[in-house]
Amino acid sequence: MSRRAGATAGSQSSLRLANRSLVVDTVKQYGGLTQVELAAATGLSAATVSTIVRELLAAGVVDIATTTRSGRRAQMVTLARRVGLAVGVQVGHRHLRIVLGDFTHEVIAEQSLPLPHEHRVDTTLDRVALLVIDLLEQMGSTLEDVVGLGIGLPAPVDTATGTISVQDIMRGWEDVHVGRIMSERLGRPVYVDNDANLGALAESTLGASADRVDSVFVRASYGTGAGIVLNRSLHRGFAGTAGEIGHLQLDPQGAICRCGSRGCLDTVVGATALIDALRSAYGSLTLRDVISRANDGDRGCAQVISDAGATIGAVIASLAVAVNPQCVVVGGELAETGELLLAPLREAVNRRLLPNRVAPMEVVLGALGTRAEALGAMLLALQSTDVPLDELDRDASAPGVLR
Amino acid sequence: MSDEARVPLLAMRGITMRFGAVEALVDVDLEVHAHEVVALVGDNGAGKSTLAKMISGVLQPDAGIIEIDGEPVTVPTPQAAAALGVATVFQDLALCENLDVTSNLFLGRELRSRWVRDDGQMEEVARRILRSLSSRIPSVRSPLSTLSKGQRQSVAIARTLIGSPRIVVLDEPTAALSVVQTAEVLTHIEQLRNLGLAVVLISHNMTDVRAVADRIEVLRHGRNNGSLDVATSSYEEVIAAITGAPTEPRPAQHAPLRSSTTAWPA
Ligand SMILES: Nc1ncnc2c1ncn2[C@@H]1O[C@H](COP(=O)(O)OP(=O)(O)OP(=O)(O)O)[C@@H](O)[C@H]1O
Ligand SMILES: [Mg+2]
Ligand SMILES: [Zn+2]
Repeated sequence: MSRRAGATAGSQSSLRLANRSLVVDTVKQYGGLTQVELAAATGLSAATVSTIVRELLAAGVVDIATTTRSGRRAQMVTLARRVGLAVGVQVGHRHLRIVLGDFTHEVIAEQSLPLPHEHRVDTTLDRVALLVIDLLEQMGSTLEDVVGLGIGLPAPVDTATGTISVQDIMRGWEDVHVGRIMSERLGRPVYVDNDANLGALAESTLGASADRVDSVFVRASYGTGAGIVLNRSLHRGFAGTAGEIGHLQLDPQGAICRCGSRGCLDTVVGATALIDALRSAYGSLTLRDVISRANDGDRGCAQVISDAGATIGAVIASLAVAVNPQCVVVGGELAETGELLLAPLREAVNRRLLPNRVAPMEVVLGALGTRAEALGAMLLALQSTDVPLDELDRDASAPGVLR
Repeated sequence: MSDEARVPLLAMRGITMRFGAVEALVDVDLEVHAHEVVALVGDNGAGKSTLAKMISGVLQPDAGIIEIDGEPVTVPTPQAAAALGVATVFQDLALCENLDVTSNLFLGRELRSRWVRDDGQMEEVARRILRSLSSRIPSVRSPLSTLSKGQRQSVAIARTLIGSPRIVVLDEPTAALSVVQTAEVLTHIEQLRNLGLAVVLISHNMTDVRAVADRIEVLRHGRNNGSLDVATSSYEEVIAAITGAPTEPRPAQHAPLRSSTTAWPA
């Protein structure tokens, strides 16, 4: 690559340091690489890579693992993991996302997979299990290295049983003990939670609300949900339905929602509603189309997203009055449109909120983007696991997240 | 844009093809728009690959017409297909094991500046294309022999983007891949669609098909046997169309109307 660390300026040692971090960054980016691949990807000579890898190995920063590459055994350089690995899984409406990380919150591998509309629980859980095993294998690891898995679902979850706590939100999934099935299948502890809760956990631990005591995470996606963090801990409610703002009634004369109620927020700003609003002018679009067109400057698609922002903002204002958070963090797919969604949302919140002279509430974009929920699932698994503390103390570096 | 949407980027009408006594295709229609993934499904021998080979200029139909942008075209050779903006990944990938990723991407189409191969420029383009597909191939200099099956499939798909095609045909790109590799290929297909390309995806895996396709066209015994909108059709409906139970057969214009009480298979 052209990022060859220049051989001109700087002292020998700063050059060595730069080359070291180049190697570490590259290993992070690809998860695992052979030394030959590392040389090609960094533009460093094979000898330099070999020296640096030896140093990093001695310092406990990287591991060397034997895996197979197209049937051949190969020595893979991976990041060292101190205690164990955790897996975060987000099951979305049209995507599955899996992250693999360790107790430093470092993500060492990740993969997303497109899913069919109304995907079936058996096939999807099958794919989750296979993806997890595959990803681990790519990193030269096995399930034995995994301390636990977190799984996020786009429905309210009773975390005690790992099942969906409300009927008709995710058809076919309600009667399935996702937690039990997956932990039996993989032989590891599995923790299941709502995706917005997990987004809230991630953003309040590693992201935009990391230094806040009370915050709300709004997930504007195929449906809308919120995760509430009070006094630095997630407030799930008695059976996991806290923050289910997608089913707050907005329009008493509105359409019947899939939950059976009438005029829920989701019937107005859910994916189906947004796509239907565009259908006569645009034909059949997917939510992803609406988002990418809005970002490309298409006025109709941008309009639909901005209007959704204003509508969600009005609901968030009510939630904010009840909870009085320091900030509202906005994530989910619609947040990929940035200020298109956020500006009208913020404006609607501010218009309805009691003006607080001491500490005005902020409305900001999530810092973790589309991987917030999967990261939250990984964090949930890590936080639910007891760790030998001396092991963690060894690593004094601040937790960081690979980007 | 709605005007544009009405004229399909690729249209095949009344395509018929015989191999001796075998009727591989009988009066088959297919339309694909820009920014659309159309899945071509059907049992073994249904005629999917045969139809794909006609788009790619490998085979010529006995009867029927092919239109691009509403204009009738002939596709006598793969070169002619490439000139029309069609790129294909066949069931066997046709890549060179001993060459690196960049060389495979540009095979036969090397960039030259003043008659010498411009390796720097080719590597730059290779990196850009792999990035646009969110590919995780570590280095454009890796020899193909060091890549996994899934990474090779990525290279084959990336290869289609050299020369800025408008139509990409993928014949069973996820067959025999692991789930991680399938995930990467499906993500690439989403990216091709995002780039505004028309994609024809042949696959036997209904989960893969329903994950990325906008529309499913079913072939059965070389004939159209249903067209399903992925957003509104169920898994069961797709399977029914493949295995014989006719769900909404297309109104046949040239062939006699099939009655829904006909016994299938014939
Ligand atoms: N070159 C050929 N010579 C003779 N018959 C052929 C030839 N190519 C295809 N056929 C026949 O045409 C029919 C359609 O074949 P085709 O390969 O298009 O099917 P397909 O739908 O791609 O099947 P599969 O799912 O197995 O790939 C089959 O009966 C096949 O045996
Ligand atoms: Mg075939
Ligand atoms: Zn509802």
